[in-house]
Amino acid sequence: MIKHHPTTNLLQSFSAGELPASLSAAISIHVDMCPVCQQQVGELTEQYAEQSFDQPAQMGQQDSFNETADIMSLIDDITDDESIAELGEGYVAKEFQIKDKSYKMPRPLQSMAIGSFSGIGKLNRARIELGEGEIHTSLMQIQPGGMIPEHTHKGFELTLLLDGEFSDDMGTYQAGDFIWLDGSHQHNPKTEDGCLCLTVVSDALHFTQGFGKLLNPFGSLLY
Amino acid sequence: MQTDTSANTNTRANRLPNQGSRSNNRTMNPDNNHQQLADWLAAVAEERDKIAFTGLFKFFAPKIQRIAHQQFSSEAQAHEVVQETMSNVWRKAHLYSPQKGAPTTWVYTIMRNVSFDMLRKIKSKKEDNLSEDIWPLVEAESAETDVYADHLQQNQILAHLDKLPENQKQVVKGFYFLEMSQEQLAQHLNLPLGTVKSRLRLALAKLKQQLSDQQVGEHDD
Repeated sequence: MIKHHPTTNLLQSFSAGELPASLSAAISIHVDMCPVCQQQVGELTEQYAEQSFDQPAQMGQQDSFNETADIMSLIDDITDDESIAELGEGYVAKEFQIKDKSYKMPRPLQSMAIGSFSGIGKLNRARIELGEGEIHTSLMQIQPGGMIPEHTHKGFELTLLLDGEFSDDMGTYQAGDFIWLDGSHQHNPKTEDGCLCLTVVSDALHFTQGFGKLLNPFGSLLY
Repeated sequence: MQTDTSANTNTRANRLPNQGSRSNNRTMNPDNNHQQLADWLAAVAEERDKIAFTGLFKFFAPKIQRIAHQQFSSEAQAHEVVQETMSNVWRKAHLYSPQKGAPTTWVYTIMRNVSFDMLRKIKSKKEDNLSEDIWPLVEAESAETDVYADHLQQNQILAHLDKLPENQKQVVKGFYFLEMSQEQLAQHLNLPLGTVKSRLRLALAKLKQQLSDQQVGEHDD
Protein backbone atom coordinates (compact mmCIF):
# COMPACT_ATOMS: atom_id res chain seq x y z
CA MET A 1 0.00 0.00 0.00
CA ILE A 2 1.20 3.45 -0.92
CA LYS A 3 1.17 5.51 2.26
CA HIS A 4 2.55 8.88 1.22
CA HIS A 5 0.50 11.07 -1.07
CA PRO A 6 0.60 14.59 -2.50
CA THR A 7 -1.45 17.10 -0.47
CA THR A 8 -4.87 18.14 -1.76
CA ASN A 9 -3.36 21.52 -2.61
CA LEU A 10 -0.81 19.88 -4.86
CA LEU A 11 -3.45 17.70 -6.47
CA GLN A 12 -5.54 20.81 -7.16
CA SER A 13 -2.68 22.70 -8.77
CA PHE A 14 -1.79 19.56 -10.71
CA SER A 15 -5.32 19.20 -12.07
CA ALA A 16 -5.38 22.87 -13.03
CA GLY A 17 -2.06 22.50 -14.86
CA GLU A 18 -0.36 25.11 -12.67
CA LEU A 19 2.70 23.17 -11.48
CA PRO A 20 6.09 23.01 -13.22
CA ALA A 21 6.71 20.01 -15.47
CA SER A 22 8.95 18.32 -12.87
CA LEU A 23 6.29 18.21 -10.15
CA SER A 24 3.49 17.54 -12.63
CA ALA A 25 5.36 14.49 -13.92
CA ALA A 26 6.02 13.22 -10.38
CA ILE A 27 2.36 13.59 -9.42
CA SER A 28 1.27 11.98 -12.68
CA ILE A 29 3.41 8.91 -11.94
CA HIS A 30 2.09 8.72 -8.39
CA VAL A 31 -1.52 9.10 -9.55
CA ASP A 32 -1.03 6.32 -12.06
CA MET A 33 0.00 4.00 -9.21
CA CYS A 34 -2.47 5.23 -6.59
CA PRO A 35 -6.23 4.64 -7.06
CA VAL A 36 -7.09 7.02 -4.20
CA CYS A 37 -5.35 10.02 -5.73
CA GLN A 38 -6.54 8.97 -9.17
CA GLN A 39 -10.11 9.33 -8.06
CA GLN A 40 -9.44 12.66 -6.39
CA VAL A 41 -7.77 14.05 -9.50
CA GLY A 42 -10.73 12.83 -11.57
CA GLU A 43 -13.13 14.70 -9.34
CA LEU A 44 -11.03 17.86 -9.21
CA THR A 45 -10.71 17.89 -12.98
CA GLU A 46 -14.47 17.57 -13.30
CA GLN A 47 -14.95 20.47 -10.91
CA TYR A 48 -12.56 22.69 -12.86
CA ALA A 49 -14.28 21.71 -16.10
CA GLU A 50 -17.61 22.62 -14.57
CA GLN A 51 -16.32 25.99 -13.40
CA SER A 52 -14.87 26.63 -16.84
CA PHE A 53 -17.71 25.59 -19.08
CA ASP A 54 -20.96 25.06 -17.21
CA GLN A 55 -21.27 28.41 -15.54
CA PRO A 56 -22.41 31.60 -17.19
CA ALA A 57 -19.85 34.38 -17.38
CA GLN A 58 -19.65 36.52 -14.27
CA MET A 59 -20.42 40.22 -14.31
CA GLY A 60 -17.81 42.10 -16.29
CA GLN A 61 -16.51 38.92 -17.88
CA GLN A 62 -18.68 38.93 -20.94
CA ASP A 63 -17.73 36.36 -23.50
CA SER A 64 -16.25 38.44 -26.26
CA PHE A 65 -16.49 36.35 -29.39
CA ASN A 66 -19.21 37.98 -31.42
CA GLU A 67 -17.78 38.93 -34.76
CA THR A 68 -19.47 36.23 -36.77
CA ALA A 69 -17.31 36.59 -39.87
CA ASP A 70 -14.24 36.09 -37.75
CA ILE A 71 -15.59 32.92 -36.22
CA MET A 72 -16.40 31.40 -39.57
CA SER A 73 -12.92 31.94 -40.93
CA LEU A 74 -11.37 30.49 -37.75
CA ILE A 75 -13.58 27.43 -38.08
CA ASP A 76 -12.63 27.08 -41.75
CA ASP A 77 -8.95 27.23 -40.87
CA ILE A 78 -9.35 24.40 -38.40
CA THR A 79 -11.65 22.18 -40.45
CA ASP A 80 -9.45 22.54 -43.54
CA ASP A 81 -7.11 20.19 -41.77
CA GLU A 82 -8.36 16.81 -42.90
CA SER A 83 -5.91 14.80 -40.84
CA ILE A 84 -7.13 12.87 -37.85
CA ALA A 85 -4.88 12.44 -34.82
CA GLU A 86 -3.57 8.90 -34.84
CA LEU A 87 -4.92 6.46 -32.37
CA GLY A 88 -1.47 5.07 -31.68
CA GLU A 89 -1.06 7.07 -28.52
CA GLY A 90 -0.83 4.03 -26.31
CA TYR A 91 2.31 3.90 -24.27
CA VAL A 92 4.76 1.06 -24.22
CA ALA A 93 7.29 1.63 -21.49
CA LYS A 94 10.87 1.64 -22.71
CA GLU A 95 13.34 -0.22 -20.57
CA PHE A 96 16.57 1.34 -19.43
CA GLN A 97 19.46 0.04 -17.39
CA ILE A 98 21.60 1.42 -14.63
CA LYS A 99 24.37 -0.77 -13.28
CA ASP A 100 22.89 -3.99 -14.66
CA LYS A 101 19.50 -3.32 -13.18
CA SER A 102 16.71 -2.77 -15.62
CA TYR A 103 13.79 -0.35 -15.11
CA LYS A 104 10.73 0.74 -17.04
CA MET A 105 10.58 4.37 -18.11
CA PRO A 106 7.47 6.03 -16.65
CA ARG A 107 5.41 7.67 -19.37
CA PRO A 108 5.60 11.27 -18.08
CA LEU A 109 9.40 11.11 -18.37
CA GLN A 110 9.58 9.44 -21.78
CA SER A 111 10.13 12.61 -23.81
CA MET A 112 12.28 14.45 -21.31
CA ALA A 113 15.95 15.03 -21.99
CA ILE A 114 17.58 12.69 -19.49
CA GLY A 115 21.35 12.99 -19.15
CA SER A 116 23.65 10.04 -18.70
CA PHE A 117 24.08 8.46 -15.30
CA SER A 118 27.15 9.24 -13.29
CA GLY A 119 27.94 7.92 -9.88
CA ILE A 120 29.63 8.50 -6.56
CA GLY A 121 29.93 5.28 -4.55
CA LYS A 122 26.56 3.56 -4.47
CA LEU A 123 24.74 6.59 -5.84
CA ASN A 124 24.02 7.04 -9.51
CA ARG A 125 22.32 10.12 -10.76
CA ALA A 126 21.09 11.46 -14.08
CA ARG A 127 19.91 15.03 -14.44
CA ILE A 128 16.68 15.69 -16.27
CA GLU A 129 16.99 18.94 -18.20
CA LEU A 130 13.76 20.84 -17.88
CA GLY A 131 14.99 24.42 -17.79
CA GLU A 132 13.15 25.22 -14.56
CA GLY A 133 15.81 27.41 -12.97
CA GLU A 134 16.19 26.69 -9.25
CA ILE A 135 14.22 23.48 -9.51
CA HIS A 136 16.43 20.49 -10.27
CA THR A 137 15.07 17.16 -11.34
CA SER A 138 16.98 13.89 -11.38
CA LEU A 139 16.68 10.17 -11.55
CA MET A 140 18.62 8.71 -8.64
CA GLN A 141 19.57 5.13 -8.12
CA ILE A 142 20.93 3.94 -4.80
CA GLN A 143 22.46 0.49 -4.87
CA PRO A 144 21.81 -2.06 -2.13
CA GLY A 145 23.30 -0.95 1.17
CA GLY A 146 23.70 2.64 0.02
CA MET A 147 22.68 5.80 1.86
CA ILE A 148 22.64 9.56 1.55
CA PRO A 149 24.28 11.45 4.44
CA GLU A 150 21.95 13.33 6.77
CA HIS A 151 20.89 16.53 5.11
CA THR A 152 18.32 19.28 5.08
CA HIS A 153 17.05 21.69 2.44
CA LYS A 154 16.56 25.35 2.05
CA GLY A 155 13.62 24.77 -0.24
CA PHE A 156 11.76 21.52 -0.77
CA GLU A 157 12.82 18.01 -1.66
CA LEU A 158 10.39 15.69 -3.33
CA THR A 159 11.28 12.03 -3.62
CA LEU A 160 9.04 9.78 -5.63
CA LEU A 161 10.04 6.18 -5.12
CA LEU A 162 9.81 4.46 -8.51
CA ASP A 163 11.26 1.08 -7.66
CA GLY A 164 12.65 -0.77 -4.63
CA GLU A 165 12.51 0.52 -1.05
CA PHE A 166 14.29 2.87 1.27
CA SER A 167 13.87 4.05 4.82
CA ASP A 168 14.79 6.96 7.05
CA ASP A 169 14.08 7.88 10.68
CA MET A 170 10.43 8.49 9.74
CA GLY A 171 9.76 5.07 8.29
CA THR A 172 10.04 2.72 5.35
CA TYR A 173 8.87 3.64 1.88
CA GLN A 174 7.77 1.64 -1.12
CA ALA A 175 7.22 2.18 -4.83
CA GLY A 176 4.71 4.95 -5.49
CA ASP A 177 5.30 6.78 -2.20
CA PHE A 178 5.41 10.53 -2.69
CA ILE A 179 7.69 12.00 -0.02
CA TRP A 180 7.70 15.77 0.33
CA LEU A 181 10.19 17.37 2.72
CA ASP A 182 10.95 21.01 3.38
CA GLY A 183 13.59 22.95 5.30
CA SER A 184 12.28 21.83 8.68
CA HIS A 185 13.08 18.18 8.05
CA GLN A 186 16.37 16.36 8.25
CA HIS A 187 16.84 12.82 7.12
CA ASN A 188 19.37 10.28 5.93
CA PRO A 189 17.71 7.78 3.65
CA LYS A 190 19.23 4.33 3.30
CA THR A 191 18.28 1.30 1.32
CA GLU A 192 18.89 -2.41 1.86
CA ASP A 193 17.75 -3.73 -1.48
CA GLY A 194 18.44 -0.69 -3.62
CA CYS A 195 16.01 1.79 -5.15
CA LEU A 196 15.30 4.17 -8.00
CA CYS A 197 13.77 7.57 -7.27
CA LEU A 198 12.66 10.62 -9.13
CA THR A 199 13.82 13.63 -7.15
CA VAL A 200 12.76 17.24 -7.50
CA VAL A 201 14.70 19.68 -5.36
CA SER A 202 14.25 23.43 -5.21
CA ASP A 203 17.74 24.12 -3.90
CA ALA A 204 21.01 22.35 -3.17
CA LEU A 205 21.10 19.92 -0.28
CA HIS A 206 22.69 20.99 2.95
CA PHE A 207 24.46 18.20 4.77
CA THR A 208 24.28 18.47 8.52
CA GLN A 209 26.44 15.77 10.04
CA GLY A 210 29.94 14.41 10.24
CA PHE A 211 31.44 13.13 7.06
CA GLY A 212 28.46 14.41 5.09
CA LYS A 213 29.44 17.96 6.01
CA LEU A 214 32.53 17.56 3.93
CA LEU A 215 30.27 16.87 1.02
CA ASN A 216 28.45 20.20 1.24
CA PRO A 217 30.23 21.82 -1.65
CA PHE A 218 29.22 18.77 -3.68
CA GLY A 219 25.57 18.81 -2.69
CA SER A 220 24.62 20.02 -6.11
CA LEU A 221 26.48 17.08 -7.60
CA LEU A 222 24.19 14.66 -5.86
CA TYR A 223 20.84 16.19 -6.71
CA MET B 1 -17.00 14.66 -1.86
CA GLN B 2 -18.94 12.39 -4.16
CA THR B 3 -17.44 9.06 -4.93
CA ASP B 4 -18.59 8.29 -8.44
CA THR B 5 -15.87 7.78 -10.97
CA SER B 6 -18.09 7.06 -13.93
CA ALA B 7 -19.00 10.75 -14.06
CA ASN B 8 -21.66 10.36 -16.68
CA THR B 9 -23.95 13.23 -17.42
CA ASN B 10 -26.66 11.99 -15.09
CA THR B 11 -24.57 11.91 -11.94
CA ARG B 12 -23.18 15.32 -12.76
CA ALA B 13 -26.68 16.70 -13.16
CA ASN B 14 -27.78 15.14 -9.87
CA ARG B 15 -25.13 17.05 -8.08
CA LEU B 16 -26.30 20.43 -9.22
CA PRO B 17 -29.04 21.07 -6.65
CA ASN B 18 -26.42 20.85 -3.87
CA GLN B 19 -24.50 23.72 -5.28
CA GLY B 20 -26.69 26.39 -3.76
CA SER B 21 -27.18 29.79 -5.28
CA ARG B 22 -24.79 29.20 -8.16
CA SER B 23 -27.38 27.15 -9.95
CA ASN B 24 -29.85 30.05 -9.86
CA ASN B 25 -27.63 32.03 -12.18
CA ARG B 26 -27.60 29.36 -14.80
CA THR B 27 -28.83 30.45 -18.15
CA MET B 28 -28.62 26.97 -19.54
CA ASN B 29 -29.16 23.45 -18.41
CA PRO B 30 -25.79 21.62 -18.24
CA ASP B 31 -27.47 18.25 -18.58
CA ASN B 32 -28.99 19.10 -21.96
CA ASN B 33 -25.81 20.87 -22.94
CA HIS B 34 -23.70 17.81 -22.23
CA GLN B 35 -25.94 15.63 -24.37
CA GLN B 36 -25.81 18.14 -27.22
CA LEU B 37 -22.02 18.56 -26.92
CA ALA B 38 -21.48 14.79 -26.87
CA ASP B 39 -23.66 14.42 -29.98
CA TRP B 40 -21.65 17.10 -31.76
CA LEU B 41 -18.38 15.41 -30.80
CA ALA B 42 -19.69 12.12 -32.17
CA ALA B 43 -20.73 13.80 -35.43
CA VAL B 44 -17.29 15.38 -35.80
CA ALA B 45 -15.62 12.04 -35.05
CA GLU B 46 -17.74 9.96 -37.37
CA GLU B 47 -18.64 12.30 -40.20
CA ARG B 48 -16.21 15.21 -39.90
CA ASP B 49 -19.35 17.28 -39.57
CA LYS B 50 -18.51 20.98 -39.86
CA ILE B 51 -21.88 22.15 -38.64
CA ALA B 52 -21.47 20.10 -35.47
CA PHE B 53 -17.98 21.54 -35.08
CA THR B 54 -19.36 25.04 -35.48
CA GLY B 55 -21.73 24.26 -32.61
CA LEU B 56 -18.80 23.11 -30.45
CA PHE B 57 -16.75 26.13 -31.44
CA LYS B 58 -19.49 28.59 -30.57
CA PHE B 59 -19.99 26.96 -27.19
CA PHE B 60 -16.36 26.54 -26.16
CA ALA B 61 -14.29 29.18 -27.95
CA PRO B 62 -15.58 32.27 -26.10
CA LYS B 63 -15.17 30.54 -22.74
CA ILE B 64 -11.68 29.33 -23.56
CA GLN B 65 -10.77 32.81 -24.77
CA ARG B 66 -11.92 34.33 -21.47
CA ILE B 67 -10.12 31.75 -19.28
CA ALA B 68 -6.88 31.89 -21.29
CA HIS B 69 -6.96 35.66 -21.29
CA GLN B 70 -7.06 35.63 -17.50
CA GLN B 71 -4.15 33.21 -17.40
CA PHE B 72 -1.86 34.77 -19.97
CA SER B 73 -3.01 38.42 -19.84
CA SER B 74 -2.49 38.58 -23.57
CA GLU B 75 -5.14 38.67 -26.25
CA ALA B 76 -2.82 37.02 -28.79
CA GLN B 77 -1.87 34.12 -26.54
CA ALA B 78 -5.46 33.58 -25.49
CA HIS B 79 -6.30 33.39 -29.16
CA GLU B 80 -3.61 30.79 -29.69
CA VAL B 81 -5.03 28.68 -26.86
CA VAL B 82 -8.47 28.83 -28.51
CA GLN B 83 -7.08 27.93 -31.90
CA GLU B 84 -4.92 25.08 -30.62
CA THR B 85 -7.57 23.64 -28.28
CA MET B 86 -10.33 23.71 -30.87
CA SER B 87 -8.10 22.25 -33.53
CA ASN B 88 -7.31 19.37 -31.14
CA VAL B 89 -11.03 18.91 -30.59
CA TRP B 90 -11.47 18.68 -34.36
CA ARG B 91 -8.64 16.20 -34.84
CA LYS B 92 -9.14 14.11 -31.71
CA ALA B 93 -12.92 13.94 -31.39
CA HIS B 94 -12.73 10.18 -32.02
CA LEU B 95 -10.75 9.78 -28.81
CA TYR B 96 -13.65 11.03 -26.70
CA SER B 97 -16.01 8.48 -25.24
CA PRO B 98 -19.02 9.37 -23.07
CA GLN B 99 -18.13 6.54 -20.65
CA LYS B 100 -15.04 8.43 -19.60
CA GLY B 101 -16.91 11.55 -18.51
CA ALA B 102 -18.65 14.70 -19.58
CA PRO B 103 -17.64 16.30 -22.90
CA THR B 104 -16.85 19.49 -20.99
CA THR B 105 -14.32 17.59 -18.84
CA TRP B 106 -12.68 16.21 -21.97
CA VAL B 107 -12.38 19.62 -23.61
CA TYR B 108 -11.14 21.06 -20.32
CA THR B 109 -8.26 18.56 -20.24
CA ILE B 110 -7.33 19.52 -23.80
CA MET B 111 -7.39 23.22 -22.94
CA ARG B 112 -5.39 22.60 -19.74
CA ASN B 113 -2.78 20.65 -21.70
CA VAL B 114 -2.48 23.30 -24.41
CA SER B 115 -2.08 26.04 -21.79
CA PHE B 116 0.49 24.00 -19.88
CA ASP B 117 2.66 23.53 -22.96
CA MET B 118 2.32 27.17 -23.87
CA LEU B 119 3.23 28.35 -20.37
CA ARG B 120 6.28 26.11 -20.47
CA LYS B 121 7.26 27.58 -23.82
CA ILE B 122 7.09 31.06 -22.30
CA LYS B 123 8.69 30.32 -18.93
CA SER B 124 11.30 27.68 -19.71
CA LYS B 125 11.75 28.34 -23.43
CA LYS B 126 11.04 24.68 -24.08
CA GLU B 127 8.94 23.42 -26.93
CA ASP B 128 8.87 19.86 -25.69
CA ASN B 129 5.07 19.57 -25.33
CA LEU B 130 5.11 17.31 -22.29
CA SER B 131 1.45 17.68 -21.40
CA GLU B 132 0.20 14.61 -23.20
CA ASP B 133 2.73 12.43 -21.41
CA ILE B 134 1.69 13.90 -18.07
CA TRP B 135 -2.05 13.85 -18.74
CA PRO B 136 -2.56 11.20 -21.44
CA LEU B 137 -5.81 11.45 -23.40
CA VAL B 138 -5.54 7.77 -24.18
CA GLU B 139 -4.80 5.05 -21.65
CA ALA B 140 -1.72 2.92 -22.04
CA GLU B 141 -2.09 0.19 -24.61
CA SER B 142 0.10 -1.54 -27.14
CA ALA B 143 1.38 0.62 -29.97
CA GLU B 144 4.12 0.61 -32.50
CA THR B 145 7.30 1.19 -30.58
CA ASP B 146 9.13 2.59 -33.61
CA VAL B 147 6.92 5.62 -33.66
CA TYR B 148 7.94 6.19 -30.09
CA ALA B 149 11.63 5.88 -30.66
CA ASP B 150 11.37 8.51 -33.38
CA HIS B 151 9.22 10.72 -31.26
CA LEU B 152 11.60 10.43 -28.34
CA GLN B 153 14.58 11.22 -30.44
CA GLN B 154 12.86 14.16 -32.06
CA ASN B 155 12.12 15.61 -28.66
CA GLN B 156 15.70 15.21 -27.59
CA ILE B 157 16.84 16.90 -30.75
CA LEU B 158 14.51 19.79 -30.03
CA ALA B 159 15.85 20.07 -26.50
CA HIS B 160 19.42 20.19 -27.75
CA LEU B 161 18.57 22.51 -30.57
CA ASP B 162 17.65 25.13 -28.01
CA LYS B 163 21.18 25.00 -26.64
CA LEU B 164 22.91 25.75 -29.92
CA PRO B 165 24.27 29.23 -30.55
CA GLU B 166 21.64 31.44 -32.15
CA ASN B 167 23.30 31.58 -35.60
CA GLN B 168 23.50 27.77 -35.81
CA LYS B 169 19.97 27.34 -34.52
CA GLN B 170 18.75 29.61 -37.29
CA VAL B 171 20.19 27.53 -40.10
CA VAL B 172 19.14 24.19 -38.61
CA LYS B 173 15.58 25.39 -38.13
CA GLY B 174 15.45 26.89 -41.59
CA PHE B 175 16.91 23.84 -43.26
CA TYR B 176 15.07 21.07 -41.40
CA PHE B 177 11.86 22.63 -40.18
CA LEU B 178 11.10 25.19 -42.87
CA GLU B 179 12.69 23.01 -45.54
CA MET B 180 14.57 25.90 -47.11
CA SER B 181 17.52 25.08 -49.33
CA GLN B 182 21.02 26.18 -48.31
CA GLU B 183 20.91 28.73 -51.13
CA GLN B 184 17.60 30.11 -49.96
CA LEU B 185 18.94 30.33 -46.41
CA ALA B 186 22.05 32.17 -47.56
CA GLN B 187 19.92 34.67 -49.42
CA HIS B 188 17.39 35.01 -46.63
CA LEU B 189 20.01 35.50 -43.92
CA ASN B 190 22.21 37.59 -46.17
CA LEU B 191 25.22 35.31 -45.66
CA PRO B 192 27.74 33.68 -47.99
CA LEU B 193 26.69 30.17 -48.95
CA GLY B 194 29.89 28.76 -47.40
CA THR B 195 28.99 30.23 -44.02
CA VAL B 196 25.55 28.63 -44.10
CA LYS B 197 27.13 25.28 -44.99
CA SER B 198 29.71 25.40 -42.24
CA ARG B 199 27.20 26.51 -39.60
CA LEU B 200 24.95 23.66 -40.56
CA ARG B 201 27.83 21.21 -40.38
CA LEU B 202 28.94 22.47 -36.97
CA ALA B 203 25.43 22.37 -35.59
CA LEU B 204 24.82 18.83 -36.80
CA ALA B 205 28.10 17.58 -35.39
CA LYS B 206 27.19 19.07 -32.04
CA LEU B 207 23.69 17.62 -32.05
CA LYS B 208 24.98 14.21 -32.99
CA GLN B 209 27.50 14.26 -30.18
CA GLN B 210 24.96 15.38 -27.60
CA LEU B 211 22.50 12.71 -28.66
CA SER B 212 25.02 9.93 -28.41
CA ASP B 213 26.20 11.28 -25.05
CA GLN B 214 22.86 10.78 -23.51
CA GLN B 215 21.50 7.42 -24.49
CA VAL B 216 20.05 6.49 -21.14
CA GLY B 217 21.54 3.37 -19.64
CA GLU B 218 24.22 2.83 -22.22
CA HIS B 219 26.69 4.69 -20.09
CA ASP B 220 27.58 2.26 -17.43
CA ASP B 221 30.77 3.43 -15.83
